[in-house]
Amino acid sequence: MSLEKKRPFTVRIVENRKLSPSTYLIILERPNDFPDPYPGQFISVRVNDQTVPLLRRPFGIMDINSETMTILVKAVGPGSTILASKAAGEQVEMAGPLGGMPFSRPGGKDVVFVGGGTGLGPIIFCARSWKREATVGKMHLFIGAQTKEELLEGLYEKDFDQVYTATIDGSSGHKGNIVELLEEEIEKGGIPAAILYSCGPRPMIRALIDRVGPKFENHYTSLESVMACSLGACRGCTVPVIEDGEKTLRSVCMEGTVFRAEDIDWEEWE
Amino acid sequence: MSDNNDIGLKIGDACFANPVFLASGPAGYGIEYANYLDITKVGGIVTKTISFEPRKGNPGVRLQETPSGLLNSIGLENVGAEYFFREKIPVLVSAGVKPVISVAAEDWGDYRKLIDFIARQENIEIIELNLSCPNVERGGMAVGSNPSLLGRYVRHAKDLLPRIAILAKLTPNVSDIARLALAAEEAGADGITAINTVIGMDIDISRAKPVFKRVRAGLSGPAIRPVALDAVWRIARTVDIPVIGVGGISSVDDALKFFMAGASGIQVGTALFYDPGLPARIIEKLEAGGIPPAIKYSVDKTERKDDDGTAPHNSST
Ligand SMILES: Cc1cc2nc3c(=O)[nH]c(=O)nc-3n(C[C@H](O)[C@H](O)[C@H](O)COP(=O)(O)OP(=O)(O)OC[C@H]3O[C@@H](n4cnc5c(N)ncnc54)[C@H](O)[C@@H]3O)c2cc1C
Ligand SMILES: Cc1cc2nc3c(=O)[nH]c(=O)nc-3n(C[C@H](O)[C@H](O)[C@H](O)COP(=O)(O)O)c2cc1C
Ligand code: FES
Repeated sequence: MSLEKKRPFTVRIVENRKLSPSTYLIILERPNDFPDPYPGQFISVRVNDQTVPLLRRPFGIMDINSETMTILVKAVGPGSTILASKAAGEQVEMAGPLGGMPFSRPGGKDVVFVGGGTGLGPIIFCARSWKREATVGKMHLFIGAQTKEELLEGLYEKDFDQVYTATIDGSSGHKGNIVELLEEEIEKGGIPAAILYSCGPRPMIRALIDRVGPKFENHYTSLESVMACSLGACRGCTVPVIEDGEKTLRSVCMEGTVFRAEDIDWEEWE
Repeated sequence: MSDNNDIGLKIGDACFANPVFLASGPAGYGIEYANYLDITKVGGIVTKTISFEPRKGNPGVRLQETPSGLLNSIGLENVGAEYFFREKIPVLVSAGVKPVISVAAEDWGDYRKLIDFIARQENIEIIELNLSCPNVERGGMAVGSNPSLLGRYVRHAKDLLPRIAILAKLTPNVSDIARLALAAEEAGADGITAINTVIGMDIDISRAKPVFKRVRAGLSGPAIRPVALDAVWRIARTVDIPVIGVGGISSVDDALKFFMAGASGIQVGTALFYDPGLPARIIEKLEAGGIPPAIKYSVDKTERKDDDGTAPHNSST
């Protein structure tokens, strides 16, 4: 009798498309019994069968259908670079869908998404799922990158009602960071009092809370943290939060990845 | 299956169908891996170390990868004994898992409360004393690196829990781990678990600061396997009670090496993170081929106990 359970899955890479100097769109075959993920969930990929790098690497799901699922991979270090260098036909082991707390549905309301860095994938997944379910009002995307190439223009425009872009080097859209652009647009009066969803680096999320948080009804953010088990077992990925006035720790992998931005205890986290 | 291939393990009066366990910490409270591994088939699961009171654990970054290793500074975050026995244990038991309860204390007073509390629980067969965690200010390694203190903790548990088997989990961060194992055996331990994590640190050069708030952290994974294997080998030559080997096991062959070094059982820790199917593969291998015999040496027990264990007898280096 085999003791092996069916997960993690070994999956074939169907396609690996280079979108920019550092970003890759990787389409994986979807195993038959891979459960339907919620927006905000992720998979964790073992990039090779060696012990360097040791841990699996988490990637947000960007799209899924009955045959394939797509992740957006930015090559930043050894693990993501190995994954990004895989060709169609190669196999990887992965587990998922992971993540306990998905992005809550907007319930017909307008939505402002803010994405930075690798935060774009989960945002595209949200927009596509909600549009399919018709549970969303207008969707605005604010997307920032270092350079025009990293904005990945052409990938997502049709998924949103309006797209605003910013680059740090000014090569496309607003010159500067994406939070400044959102702040300016709010001042101009063009942005609805909607629900804010963010996904990206910590300084971006912090700036959103400080500079535009109160303008929104709610702000949900999907956090990143270094993960070992991705299952809530090791307590390695915790973030400090304040809930009902009490300081506590929540695991990003199981009790996140999505948190109410105002619950995060930034003083403790930094 | 022939008798030769009986891979059951007895530690004190506690019996296990096979000698493959999930290690305390990586295994969480035991059920987290249920989708990835048939948890009823492992010999037992050593649950996350509990203290008498709940602990929040350490602030800041808690994990950092190294070449073939993982540094952690979790700091024994846990739900506390009362919640653990009320909410976690029943789930495990009804799932058909044999729990090995890992316990730790900050000081002697805490320890007595915890052992007292365990004495009032039902159906506990075995506990593992974690007096070896490097990630806490008090208790942990401070107790586990002092033979007479370690002996005192073991003896107290043994006195209060006469029907429960006691495993003493040792730290490698000492000059002579075999001496600690002997102290634990003499105090009545039914088995030794070796090893806990190896102390290490790392620096974030972009901030010119240590990665971890407590600076030092515990290294685990394949990087520490030779250290663990050596510890098991030395301890197995020194004590008569079963030795459970843990540290860097990341393949079936690694597990076999621990048995050959003299271990009676093994635990899989860090490898669960990237290869949760590993314990099942080790069990299948043992079921098919039995437990490999420990490597024999031409030294007798008394000689072994006097030996400081620094060099193998047949080594010329
Ligand atoms: C929930 C979640 C979703 C993510 N989604 C995406 C995505 O859709 N696309 C994408 O390109 N990236 C995503 N990331 C980030 C991605 O996991 C890291 O870029 C990747 O792990 C880096 O590994 P590396 O070996 O290339 O780099 P390293 O040099 O090893 O690490 C670079 C940085 O990546 C992070 N990192 C490293 N190891 C891990 C780990 N085991 N778990 C989590 N973070 C780690 C750390 O912050 C580290 O400082 C996500 C991260 C999380 C936590
Ligand atoms: C994230 C993490 C948490 C751990 N927590 C505990 C713990 O609570 N109690 C304990 O006795 N050991 C703990 N350990 C140590 C392991 O049980 C084991 O002794 C050590 O990691 C070496 O084995 P490995 O290399 O197979 O992981 C922890 C290890 C890791 C990586
Ligand atoms: S990664 Fe282990 S608890 Fe989140």
